[in-house]
Amino acid sequence: MATLQAQDFLERSPLYRRHAGASLGRLGESSIVAHYGEYDESAQLQRCALIDLTNLARVGFRGAQAAEYLGGRGFALPEAPNRALTQGDGGHVARLSQTEYLLLGSLRDAGSRIAGEETAWQLGEGGNYLLPRQDSHAWLLLTGEHIAAVMAKLCGVDLSAGTFPVGAVAQTSAARINVIVVNLPEGELPCFHILCDRASLDYFWGALLDAMDEFGGKPAGIDALL
Amino acid sequence: MKIMPCPLNGPRNISEFTYGGEFKPMPDPATCSDAEWADYVFNSENRAGVVVEWWMHNASSYWFLAERHTVTDEIIRTFDAKEIFTRRVDFIAKAPAREATV
Repeated sequence: MATLQAQDFLERSPLYRRHAGASLGRLGESSIVAHYGEYDESAQLQRCALIDLTNLARVGFRGAQAAEYLGGRGFALPEAPNRALTQGDGGHVARLSQTEYLLLGSLRDAGSRIAGEETAWQLGEGGNYLLPRQDSHAWLLLTGEHIAAVMAKLCGVDLSAGTFPVGAVAQTSAARINVIVVNLPEGELPCFHILCDRASLDYFWGALLDAMDEFGGKPAGIDALL
Repeated sequence: MKIMPCPLNGPRNISEFTYGGEFKPMPDPATCSDAEWADYVFNSENRAGVVVEWWMHNASSYWFLAERHTVTDEIIRTFDAKEIFTRRVDFIAKAPAREATV
């Protein structure tokens, strides 16, 4: 099989040049880093790792009837703002305000369910508006036992387990840019999903890796997650 | 750093917020005079004392209201705009003026 190249796809992560040398896998109509080295990255994920999920589908909905609409589409919704829930298919829903929801796609279906939600939406009479997030936000996954300590170097909000439990969402500033931090583990693996301005991703990726360095943190691919 | 309590997100550094100006009741644009509308759009009271102001939390793009003392810079209270705006405000567009025919 020919080796995949990010340049072969129309949709690329802003980081694709930084992924040079990594082994890529196909993710719908784009690519994603499968792994960096030839070794198993599972231990790295448990310690401290950063995964670029920017090419995985995400979308938002907002409006007085957004909850009713999403409930009808089979999503389990968090009961309060700034809370998040993992769905049965491995995707996630974060509630960002009284009437705004952010849907994060699942690797299991390469984000196709959430991508489908974006194309299926139509403007109707009710208050439910689409918020396209694929080209506005980037999506990183920070994993391992040191995630709170890493974020403490970059962010003024206390994201330690006692005050920022599983299912919590923080919309704040980290490394001086706006971020949405979602605490949802992948199975037993502690994870922060971090969404930031897509155009700032190259900077933010470097800032996070710099903060992770003292914990032995490294970038990783999705193979070890699956 | 100065801390502002956001009604949606909780206490946050003041650097996460953007000031949005004094809160002023809006006159009905369909019935008010041009002078009343200009006063609403351009003029500020700039009071020394407790004022109500618009603020936005940048990371969540959430607009809310804050009571602040402009002399001591003490933030007395922050609250959701729904406390004042209890129902949707709709604007009825004026019928477009007929274009002059040349």
